[in-house]
Amino acid sequence: MDMVSLNIAGGILVSICRDMGVTLMRTSYSTIFSESLDFTCGLALPSGELVATGDFCPSMIGGMPLLLRSCVQEIDLAELEEGDVILHNDPYRGGLHTPEHTFFKPVFVDGALIGFSVAIGHICEVGGMAPAGFAGEATEVFHEGLRVPPVKIKRAGKDVDDVWRLLLANVRTPRYNYGDFRAMIAAVDLGERRMADLARKHGIESFREHVAALMDYSERRMRAEIAQIPDGRYTFEDYMEDDGITADAYKIRVEVVVEGDGLIVDYHGSSPQARGPINATLGVAWGAAYNAILQLTDASIPKNSGCFRPIRVLAPPGTVVNVDFPGPSVGGNTETHCRIANTVMGALAPGLRDRSAATDGASHSNFLFGGTDRRTGEFFCCYDLTPVGWGGRSFADGNDAVGGINGNCPHIPVEVFEFRYPWHVEEFRLVDGTGGPGQFRGGLSMSKTVRCTDTEMTFSYMSDRQKLSPWGIHGGQDGGRAELFIKRAGSEDWLTITQAFNKPSPSKFANVPIHPGDTIRITSPAGGGWGPVEKRDEASVREDLLDGFITPEQAVEIYGLRP
Amino acid sequence: MKFAPNKLYVESYVKCRNCGVLIYDAGRADAVTKDDAIYCSEWCVDWEADRDRRRAAAAE
Repeated sequence: MDMVSLNIAGGILVSICRDMGVTLMRTSYSTIFSESLDFTCGLALPSGELVATGDFCPSMIGGMPLLLRSCVQEIDLAELEEGDVILHNDPYRGGLHTPEHTFFKPVFVDGALIGFSVAIGHICEVGGMAPAGFAGEATEVFHEGLRVPPVKIKRAGKDVDDVWRLLLANVRTPRYNYGDFRAMIAAVDLGERRMADLARKHGIESFREHVAALMDYSERRMRAEIAQIPDGRYTFEDYMEDDGITADAYKIRVEVVVEGDGLIVDYHGSSPQARGPINATLGVAWGAAYNAILQLTDASIPKNSGCFRPIRVLAPPGTVVNVDFPGPSVGGNTETHCRIANTVMGALAPGLRDRSAATDGASHSNFLFGGTDRRTGEFFCCYDLTPVGWGGRSFADGNDAVGGINGNCPHIPVEVFEFRYPWHVEEFRLVDGTGGPGQFRGGLSMSKTVRCTDTEMTFSYMSDRQKLSPWGIHGGQDGGRAELFIKRAGSEDWLTITQAFNKPSPSKFANVPIHPGDTIRITSPAGGGWGPVEKRDEASVREDLLDGFITPEQAVEIYGLRP
Repeated sequence: MKFAPNKLYVESYVKCRNCGVLIYDAGRADAVTKDDAIYCSEWCVDWEADRDRRRAAAAE
């Protein structure tokens, strides 16, 4: 097959996925979709193999192959009808965590099943012990909301009302969930139409040949990339600082074995499963490995199941990288995913020095709250993510205050945040001096200070990196840690959550009461530095000083700048 | 509908001891049992044994 045809076919498939994502964003009700784009969309074969995906949320891109593979083993394909839509969020069957809902719709042409249109997205409110999910003190999946094994939410084009009733009866914001579900269905409807149109236009056989060739091409490209890494066994370790229940740290250990044009990511040696909700599901363990490899290889490789064929992931069950039922896992997809992905990248750094990077802040500092709207009496929920600093790279400083490497999710703009929720944003800024020093500095963290205006709320949080710093690499130094403080109305004292509420973890907790006038300050972690500070260009140090990105003390004491 | 051995849920989560994948009924034909543990394939049995040998040697 000629490369022109292949590239056109690949481009069309990806553009379908992007259009699906835009549809989802524009028709959704919740800010986690409309502003933060915490979703992705894809097309798959009846076998569950991923054909194409939109470049939205990396954790979901890497998670889709296992999720789809699991689902098609539980569905009787012979019983699928045109117009069916299947819903799934089960963390133990390929899912990522309970909020991550996947809608997939079979695509038929002339009665033949040619694939699936898929939308996966983070539903803000899923029931469970804390509004807006992310119960930082959950100890079992039943605290984390309603679990949905693959079920038909639409059958032959008609809503399955009993399933809708069941889903919406178990959440605090049924109207928003309804709207967001409809947005995801609109996305898979669009993907189904476009995929079917494409197959009809070129014929089913031609469609299948192009898709197969596209996946083979991706596999060849990925194998060529891996072949450039020297054969060997590369190891690295990092830690989650606690699990929300006790103060114990949890180890992520990885050994990456490179042999020729394939590699094996082996997590054996990682800590046993945690009591608290930091456990990764198997889908997260796969997705994090894929995410890391995609970060280190040519970004132009088409992202489909073909490029994942040379990568094998081993995640022992009952550990922090492969949770067993009924263990909790809601934080595994945001906090532990990035820790795992960075651990894989850290392991390969010696073999891929020019493409390596220090760790990013590797936490989304997930800010969750909910309460009853004083004007309407309707319950509202919100999930906002906080940008982090990225790690320094072999050729540039880390990006300042952007979404973590597994999310690619923007924070909610201040104007939207203040309009939709009862908070006043008092401050929103880069935090100077936080980037890990190095030849290439880590990206700066950011700080957001918000004051509750007029509504009683509950506040939950899922974060990390308050005790253990983001690491530098190749001689680079650590980045700044995260912080979280609360100031009660009428008080001048900034307290940690442990000081204020006696919570075991300062970074993972559920249902702290918030009253009007209370103020919260969230500071995200920064990126680590790359290379020794002695090699940093003096002009860059002076520029950082002028920009306020480093402090005068750092310029002198760390970088040795002379006045 | 199937129930897990503990009767709690409609599915039994049987996982490969080495790689952690769920072993569905369709995959049982390729599954291997060794030392009361189940593996999805002979490859996983061999890999685990090799890893144990390597780590034991490194510890000496």
